[in-house]
Amino acid sequence: MAVHDRPWLKEFAQAPSALICGDVVRIYFSCRPPADAAGQYVSHSAYVDLDRADLFTIRAVAEAPILPLGQTGTFDEFGVYPVSVIRHGDEVRAYYAGWTRCESVPFNTAIGCAVSRDGGMRFERLGPGPILPYGPDEPFVMSGPKVRVFGGTWYLFYIAGRSWKMHGGRAEPVYRIRMATSPDGLTWTKAGRDLIPPRIEPDEAQASPDVFFADGRYHMHFCYRYSTDYRSHERGYRIGYAWSDDLVTWTRADERAGLDVSAEGWDAQMVSYPHVFAVDGRTYLAYLGNDVGRGGFGLAVLDGPMG
Amino acid sequence: MRWERLGLVFDLQAHPLPFGIGAFAQGPQALVLDDRVRVYFSTRSRDPDGKYRSLVAFADFTRDLSAVLGVSQSPVIEPGGLGTFDEHGIFPMTVLAQGDRVFGYTTGWSRRVSVSVETGIGLAISRDGGLTFTRHGTGPVLSATLNEPFLVGDGIVRVIGGRFHMWYIFGTQWTRPAPGAEAERVYKIGHATSADGIAWVKEDGRRIVPDRLGPTECQALPTVFDRDGRHHMVFCYREQVGFRTDPARGYRLGHAWSDDLATWTRDDAMPGLPGGPGAWDGAMQCYPNAFTCDGATYLLYNGDAFGRFGFGAARLVG
Repeated sequence: MAVHDRPWLKEFAQAPSALICGDVVRIYFSCRPPADAAGQYVSHSAYVDLDRADLFTIRAVAEAPILPLGQTGTFDEFGVYPVSVIRHGDEVRAYYAGWTRCESVPFNTAIGCAVSRDGGMRFERLGPGPILPYGPDEPFVMSGPKVRVFGGTWYLFYIAGRSWKMHGGRAEPVYRIRMATSPDGLTWTKAGRDLIPPRIEPDEAQASPDVFFADGRYHMHFCYRYSTDYRSHERGYRIGYAWSDDLVTWTRADERAGLDVSAEGWDAQMVSYPHVFAVDGRTYLAYLGNDVGRGGFGLAVLDGPMG
Repeated sequence: MRWERLGLVFDLQAHPLPFGIGAFAQGPQALVLDDRVRVYFSTRSRDPDGKYRSLVAFADFTRDLSAVLGVSQSPVIEPGGLGTFDEHGIFPMTVLAQGDRVFGYTTGWSRRVSVSVETGIGLAISRDGGLTFTRHGTGPVLSATLNEPFLVGDGIVRVIGGRFHMWYIFGTQWTRPAPGAEAERVYKIGHATSADGIAWVKEDGRRIVPDRLGPTECQALPTVFDRDGRHHMVFCYREQVGFRTDPARGYRLGHAWSDDLATWTRDDAMPGLPGGPGAWDGAMQCYPNAFTCDGATYLLYNGDAFGRFGFGAARLVG
């Protein structure tokens, strides 16, 4: 579907995150207005409502970003992307990465939290700062939050940067998948370690750690890429997979991710930012294709058991 | 109780460093050693684009601060890596003796685009008596949180009753005094505690020292000492704008006291350190650090031009 009357929603539909809302499946995503004169983007987050009975029928698109950008000097002054949403009583909470701009590297990100009391259309920040601070071993680029509640405990899967590499005149971040737990979703205790070992190279970058419980086991889909020259087919994002029985120890098994690039088309160059959700007995995987979602996001439906 | 001035105890021009641009000795912080008092401070180098970068150095003094014994021959900590919180300098670094180690709490600076800078508090540890420091991780031990959104810095630590206490500052706003003008910051003093000096619990957003100049008062570099069973805090404070050029709006020293480390009563008049016209600290007094040595309580601080010329000291009497 093309959207023409929302200048803030010009390009990209990144990092889909689903919320079941009555007879629609609301998919949050992140988008961008055109770049400014200096070629710099900001990111907003919005949603699209899909007909629950036919996920390829769009019922509505957000009238405005779900959260305004942050104030001068805050961690989310230049972007709210990506978001992960969860119901909590009458509220909907959004955990999101905020973007700021730096001098020596292009950006930094941190994870914030906002709450909606109108069913998930508009959100307000819990506070002007991030909900998860940087730490000695998580120095920058904390992003990609995915919030879940399992057995009454809140889990936040996210990524943390470990280095910036200079390559071809560009600073490129290397990041890994991490986890924190909380009794209430507000006060978090970090696990303090990388959950998923790198596979394709020591500086492999990993993102979008999306955990789903099925068949008595926890399943994580994520995406990974090479640290440099990753805007190509060969070195770009692919979807990885790991499983766990206790959410602490994870066994990586990318060959069981169940989704690779297509032979041709919108997802032939790369696939990334997986998100698994279930509705009405079917399990779906939403993901991004070429140019990390410049044109939109896609869906795959699970055929057989997961993993 | 009043402060007796000892004057400009460290004149950078009289004791030049073999690195840096030969100006600024900011944020003096004392470490009392067996045979001397080592005072850390930040001096500056200049990048090719003209921007300043703060480097941590030290000067060694006799235990009564009457003579300078020597200065550091190189910065005590390496520069931070690409994209890290302290990539563009450290100012200040405060120190805490911990057995045979010295903990250095660094305020790291990294440059931003829409505002000039962001800061965080790191930990660096010395195992050679304070000559060199190695980072505990590449990231900060204290940084922005929900209600302290930016500019966490100036952390100073003491162990009281077996618990680590940190007093520090956090930003509350970046605002432009006029459309198109550079954003200016406002920051307040906060408090955190820890069992080990590494993992901290903040009060997250509680401003522990009441404002005197109103909501846009900027408070910096708290330092806490005890006297007659009472905790005293000295800090510096200024107006949000005009503070660089107008002495009436610039940094001066403030004071508060507490009996329980929770509630602080502000009483700027109490420690009294009035400026003297024309003196090295006549226009500005800032970045205080209190310490005790051989039964005397001293206050190190910077004077005019944010410590461009060096730092001075005073001794508590009465």
